[in-house]
Amino acid sequence: MQLNNEHHLEASRAKVWEALNDLETLKASIPGCEQMERIDERTLRAVVKSRVGPVSARFTGTVAFSDIEPMCGYTITFKGEGGMAGFASGNARVDLSDDGDGTLLRYESKAQVGGKLAQIGSRLIDSVASKTASEFFQRFAAVVSQDQAKAD
Amino acid sequence: MQANETGGYIGKRLLRREDEALLRGRGSYVDDLAEPQNLLHLAFVMSPHAHALIKSIDTSAARSLPGVFAVYTGEDLAPLMKPIHTEILFPGYQAADRNALAYGKVRFVGEQVAVVLAEDRYIAQDAIDLIEVEYEVLPAAVDMEEARKPGAPLVHDHIERNIIFEGKFETPEFEREFAAGEHRIRERFRTGRVAGVPMEPRGCLALPEHSDAIVFHTSTQIQHLVREGLAHHLGRSEASIRVVVPDVGGGFGTKAQLYPEEVVAAALCFKLRRPIKWVQDRREELLTNIHARDHLYDLEVSFSSDGVIRGMQLELLTNAGAYSTYPFGCTLETTGGSRMILGPYRIRNYMYRSFSIATHTNPAGVYRGVAQPSCMMAMEGMLDRIGRYLGIDPAEVRRRNVVQASDMPWTTAVGVRFDTGSYQQCLDKALEAIGYDEFRRAQPRDRLVDGKYRGVGICNMTEFTGMGAPAWRSRGLKRMSGIDSAALRVEATGKVTVSISHAAAGQGHLTTFAQIVADYLGANIEDVRIIEGDTAVSPYGTNTFASRSAVTGGGAVIRASTKVADKIRRIAAHVLEASPQDIVVRDGYAHVAGVTDLRLSFREVAEIAYAMCDVSLPEGEDFGLEASEYYDPPVVTVANAAHVVAVTVDARDGRVTIDRHVVVHDCGRVINPMIVDGQIHGGAAQGIGEALMEEMVYDENGQLLNASLLDYLLPTAMDIPNFEISHIETPTIDGLGGFKGVGEGGLIGALPAVVNAVADALSGIGVNVNRVPMRPAYLRSLIRSAAAEGGAR
Repeated sequence: MQLNNEHHLEASRAKVWEALNDLETLKASIPGCEQMERIDERTLRAVVKSRVGPVSARFTGTVAFSDIEPMCGYTITFKGEGGMAGFASGNARVDLSDDGDGTLLRYESKAQVGGKLAQIGSRLIDSVASKTASEFFQRFAAVVSQDQAKAD
Repeated sequence: MQANETGGYIGKRLLRREDEALLRGRGSYVDDLAEPQNLLHLAFVMSPHAHALIKSIDTSAARSLPGVFAVYTGEDLAPLMKPIHTEILFPGYQAADRNALAYGKVRFVGEQVAVVLAEDRYIAQDAIDLIEVEYEVLPAAVDMEEARKPGAPLVHDHIERNIIFEGKFETPEFEREFAAGEHRIRERFRTGRVAGVPMEPRGCLALPEHSDAIVFHTSTQIQHLVREGLAHHLGRSEASIRVVVPDVGGGFGTKAQLYPEEVVAAALCFKLRRPIKWVQDRREELLTNIHARDHLYDLEVSFSSDGVIRGMQLELLTNAGAYSTYPFGCTLETTGGSRMILGPYRIRNYMYRSFSIATHTNPAGVYRGVAQPSCMMAMEGMLDRIGRYLGIDPAEVRRRNVVQASDMPWTTAVGVRFDTGSYQQCLDKALEAIGYDEFRRAQPRDRLVDGKYRGVGICNMTEFTGMGAPAWRSRGLKRMSGIDSAALRVEATGKVTVSISHAAAGQGHLTTFAQIVADYLGANIEDVRIIEGDTAVSPYGTNTFASRSAVTGGGAVIRASTKVADKIRRIAAHVLEASPQDIVVRDGYAHVAGVTDLRLSFREVAEIAYAMCDVSLPEGEDFGLEASEYYDPPVVTVANAAHVVAVTVDARDGRVTIDRHVVVHDCGRVINPMIVDGQIHGGAAQGIGEALMEEMVYDENGQLLNASLLDYLLPTAMDIPNFEISHIETPTIDGLGGFKGVGEGGLIGALPAVVNAVADALSGIGVNVNRVPMRPAYLRSLIRSAAAEGGAR
């Protein structure tokens, strides 16, 4: 499964970059995120509740950051185990660039699901993924623009 | 052995005895059986990975869930059972044993790694979700062609390049004759992985009995082979296991297997002395019941300018999946596809190489038709291509190559004898029925009429049925006998009880076997009762699959009936003071020929046989009125049929509609035309499904992407046309009764005919259709690219 998109954010690149590295912002933005903690500088541990059609699961997994270019972007590699519901893994490249007064966030993401999720959720997985992504960016945009407003 | 002068039950459209109970909802399937009080429900943990090491299994949370009785891993159960091992004495085959519960390693998504026993199924299911299995994921081999390349991940370390079976064959003159043909065509045909998908999933109920025995109710087609398989793998005697088959809601070969769940359920019943029940859900059914027909045919023919085939060569790949299933193993699709492809055609020069490839996918097995639908698709597709190449009508190409009456008995290039058949007659009759010549005359060159491409397709097929012991010996299947049997008794009341070695999954045995008995014994059909599917009462045999019951069981029933009829004749002759040759047995009476009031009823004869009256038996005659007979049918009894199908393909969306579907079928002597038609209907529906929509889709990591009936498409009544069926009866002369099998023919003929019809419809725009399923997206993309090419020109 592939998901590529871009979003214009009403915030400076510095603000966006800061938010992209802020545990609380990420936690608040990820739909269904129940827990998130830092294991080390480049790795987070997260528990996310998610539902794909008839399969609902609590994924426990890790998010690792690599190819970090401050203010410009990074690569996220994620891996989550949902017990009998199956598993999900993948990566996403996130790139930032100036876009007028705001910032353009581009991402290219690849994910793979397995187990029950794949078996009975494949038909739904693309729409669930894009819905989850758009929800994430809605929340994320809200947080960063709020922060930007405060800073202004 | 001639039928009694009587009866005429064979050939009648008698209503099925099975149907009243089934239609009133009074059938009793595994899940309907009464549950004993201390029943434990079994549920399986399945691997989410196609290939992985099992690092650890944490069962503690599941164990502590209230209502959970026990949790076992593969390691726990290994001491109770031998790995499932399929012995095949065939050069080129390598066994790939399977632990009923995996330990150490999993090799396909859905492989069972642990079990829960609980008070009810809900708790068992909840407990499953609490078991944490830690895997180390390994790369998987999923695609057959990739899997046999050097360096591909190995499914079993001892099987190099994943070639689990390799076969080859060449006729002596092949090279010279193949080279002599003026023209050659090469084509690659591909069939999608499908499954039988019976309406009733699998399940079993194991009940402890006596001190050390179990009664094992299971939804199977092969009660004797299951009993033997359980006894062997659990180290028990057959006497400690009674296998009982309840009503079965569809088999199709899917249930002609010994499955790991059955081994586990029986082992736990022996171990715990508690009743154990397991019924799979639909996801398990689609993940773990045998799959079939992921086949790839690279076929090349050499032919003369008149369309006559000079030689043919084939390379065939079949996908075996992760293990060799029990008892058929992974060689039947491979050998079948490469040997049955010759069909009813005079192909004397032939060469093949065939491979069964192990992959990290669910094991493949013997689904209705086995390789015949796919190999006939390749063969019949090739005949159409010869016609298109030479500008000869495809029907005419078939006439020029088909085995003629004067060729009979025909022996194929691979040595299979066809004793009788009606290959040309079925074809001609089917073409006439559909109005083939008018269809062709009316068909425009581009095939386009009112926005739809119209085509007609032919399949003139053979069906290998009722294989006997020599066939199974030559195919190396160690655990497959090939013989079947019947035990017939005229009871003291004159009623007739017949136990046969078969089991039914909807074939109507209770009706058809009664028809045979009534004719050959001379009984009143109302007095005949057939019993099957219970190892305690049904005599040993090879059971029900591969279109065998009418041929093998029919022969056994004829033998037993004839033997008892002869005894009735002797007893009646003794009492009526006539010669046995002058006694006619008919409708439950034995009378002197021409003197119908000088007669004895079966009851009166039975009372003499069981010493219940003053009349004594003739001198030297033993008590009783019964016979047990085995029958080993000929190597193979070959049935045939012609399917001719007319379709329209919507030019806008690629959707196929079957306008007409004509079948002219020859299964020799027809026992019950209604039941034969029913078999053809069901098979043809499955063939249409396979041609147009069905496919199990694995991604490159070995994840099955459509394990639900929302995503695995089956044909519905909306997709199935009215089948126009007629029969030609060419009785077999090699076997008893004249019967040929019919279970698989509908599917074998329908799939290639639909493919050829669609290919014909799209041939006007230069499109090459060479794979199934032909979903709208596939056909639409072909139509679109043809249009683009046409535009570019």
